[in-house]
Amino acid sequence: MKVTIEHLTKRFADNTAVRDFNAVIESGELVALLGPSGCGKSTMLNMISGILDVTEGKIYFDDDDVTDVVPEKRGVGLVFQNYALYPHMTVLENICFPLEIKKVPKSERVQKAMEMAKLVHVDNMLDRKPSQMSGGQQQRVAIARALVKKPRILLLDEPLSNLDARLRIEMREEIRRIQKETKVTTVFVTHDQEEAMSISDHIILMKDGELQQIAKPQELYDNPANCFVADFLGNPPINKTYGVIKGGKIILDGECSIEDERFKNLEDRDDIILSLRAEAIEVCEDDGYNCGVIDEVYVMGKEVLAYITLGNNKVRAYIDSDESFKVGEKVSLKLKKRGFFVFDKMSGERIL
Amino acid sequence: MSLKSKEKKFSLTKLKNKSEWLIYLLPFLIGIIIFTLYPIVNVFLISFKENFNYITKTFSGWGIANYQYIFNDPYFIQALKNTLSYVFVVIPVSTCLAILIATLLNQKIKFAGLFQTAYFVPMVTSTIAIGFAWRFMFSHKYGVINYLLSFLNIAPINWLQDPTYNFYALCIYGIWAILPFSIILLLSGLQNIDPMYYTAAKVDGAKPLKIFFRVTLPLLAPTIFMVIMVNTISCFKVFNELFPLFGGGANVPAGVANNLFTVVLYIYYQFRVRVPSRYGYASAAAVILFLIIFVATMLQRYIEKKIKS
Repeated sequence: MKVTIEHLTKRFADNTAVRDFNAVIESGELVALLGPSGCGKSTMLNMISGILDVTEGKIYFDDDDVTDVVPEKRGVGLVFQNYALYPHMTVLENICFPLEIKKVPKSERVQKAMEMAKLVHVDNMLDRKPSQMSGGQQQRVAIARALVKKPRILLLDEPLSNLDARLRIEMREEIRRIQKETKVTTVFVTHDQEEAMSISDHIILMKDGELQQIAKPQELYDNPANCFVADFLGNPPINKTYGVIKGGKIILDGECSIEDERFKNLEDRDDIILSLRAEAIEVCEDDGYNCGVIDEVYVMGKEVLAYITLGNNKVRAYIDSDESFKVGEKVSLKLKKRGFFVFDKMSGERIL
Repeated sequence: MSLKSKEKKFSLTKLKNKSEWLIYLLPFLIGIIIFTLYPIVNVFLISFKENFNYITKTFSGWGIANYQYIFNDPYFIQALKNTLSYVFVVIPVSTCLAILIATLLNQKIKFAGLFQTAYFVPMVTSTIAIGFAWRFMFSHKYGVINYLLSFLNIAPINWLQDPTYNFYALCIYGIWAILPFSIILLLSGLQNIDPMYYTAAKVDGAKPLKIFFRVTLPLLAPTIFMVIMVNTISCFKVFNELFPLFGGGANVPAGVANNLFTVVLYIYYQFRVRVPSRYGYASAAAVILFLIIFVATMLQRYIEKKIKS
């Protein structure tokens, strides 16, 4: 099912959580609502589920306007951050409960619940109570309970935040697998860029209640719409260097110039940000090209990360493990083909 | 190495603490031994001493004569019946009412604070003072209860002086007196239920009644069991409630026809009213009451465990 969100706004008494939001979620996709905490992504999710009223704007499920439809009539399956499994019911009873509410006959209920339990791999613990299960298992049950009534859309609120690191990776792949098997349109909220990047078909990136960009994960990384998007994605975080454009060059604060073919056509302007991914920087021996100085070198397994002072800016760059740069050594930095962007400092708008 | 020596040090401090804990506990232990344990043991012993005289501490011999006496005393049999009936009426009615009121108070209603205060007033007032107010309300000719009943075309009931009705008057007053405590406990139990369970059920389309019976009640069950247990014990000990409603003069406050004996009142009667006091009978009755409450409590715990698993 396709979800269309038009000019959606949510105002609370003293703040606006979501502002004039437009987005389309394609049918059968796994979409991440990504953003820093407090950016309105959970509010968004709750408006899609109908738990929260909208202030302005429309939500469509396919062609149906569901803006004023109550949650139980929308056909949404919800998975809560801490699962909200009923502690007094067994796994089977928990999964059956949505069908019990719909007054589905008991034998059919159990049969459907068993199917779901098999899908999420909890069919060997149907008689257990939630308290007798691990976080990951509870998560699986919660997903089964949300899916058993065949919802038009599955919504997950921070589904992985209560799990430890190893389990998180396992469960995100499980969510991906379950979503692909059932083909149900799925939206999940997360503040973890890695989580969003690794499993979603599209990412909706939000900040302060406003849409920043909707794109495929790699597209978001390679082609950020603005400075915030570039900042938010990537590990280590993108290097932000400040300077001006002058005569087809970028002069970073501290009188350090960076030249590149692609800067040649840029008009002169003050206050720009040159953002560089760590892997986009080529560290060469000093040839007077610019004025980098190695501050620190960290060897982390196969990767070697150098901290380099560049005029008044500091950047992190991956260097070849064959080359041995010493701390304090002067180096020149060149740009590789991809992974650098120029933004306006005030508005954050992309210039290049 | 260093870790091991650290562990050793730790256990040494622990050992030293072990001798200290007795000193910290002692004041409380002394109190409990003198005022609780000793009297309990003594009551148990006295109940087996025949013709015991409390002043001279003399008795004619050990035996079960006291028990034989009370079980042949129609007043004691009646007291047992009344007490059990009282428990069986007051506990279910008060628990259901308390759950209902607590659920209503837990809703987001206007003036919730005002209602909550109003329902907790009985708790901070004296049983005796309020009891007298109820005595006026129960009054045959001038009472507000009969006045209200007259609108339903019910003839005035002689609540307090008619032996067929005075038991119900006692129950009504007892239920009213016990409610606020139950409501406080249940309300805190309700407020401890994570609202996300309600959201989850609602999104699945559950109606309020369904949510109440399938989600709220089961999650509230531990609190309900505790309320029932605490109230059952206090109801078995019904005594105070009799004085304002039926007291007056030198009589035992057991209603007009002495038909409202309860076990504790019977103990009071043997111990305090009869001259000379019958300590043996009173103690025997106290031991029987203890056994009844003990069995009832165990039974409830057993049922609670059965339901939980």
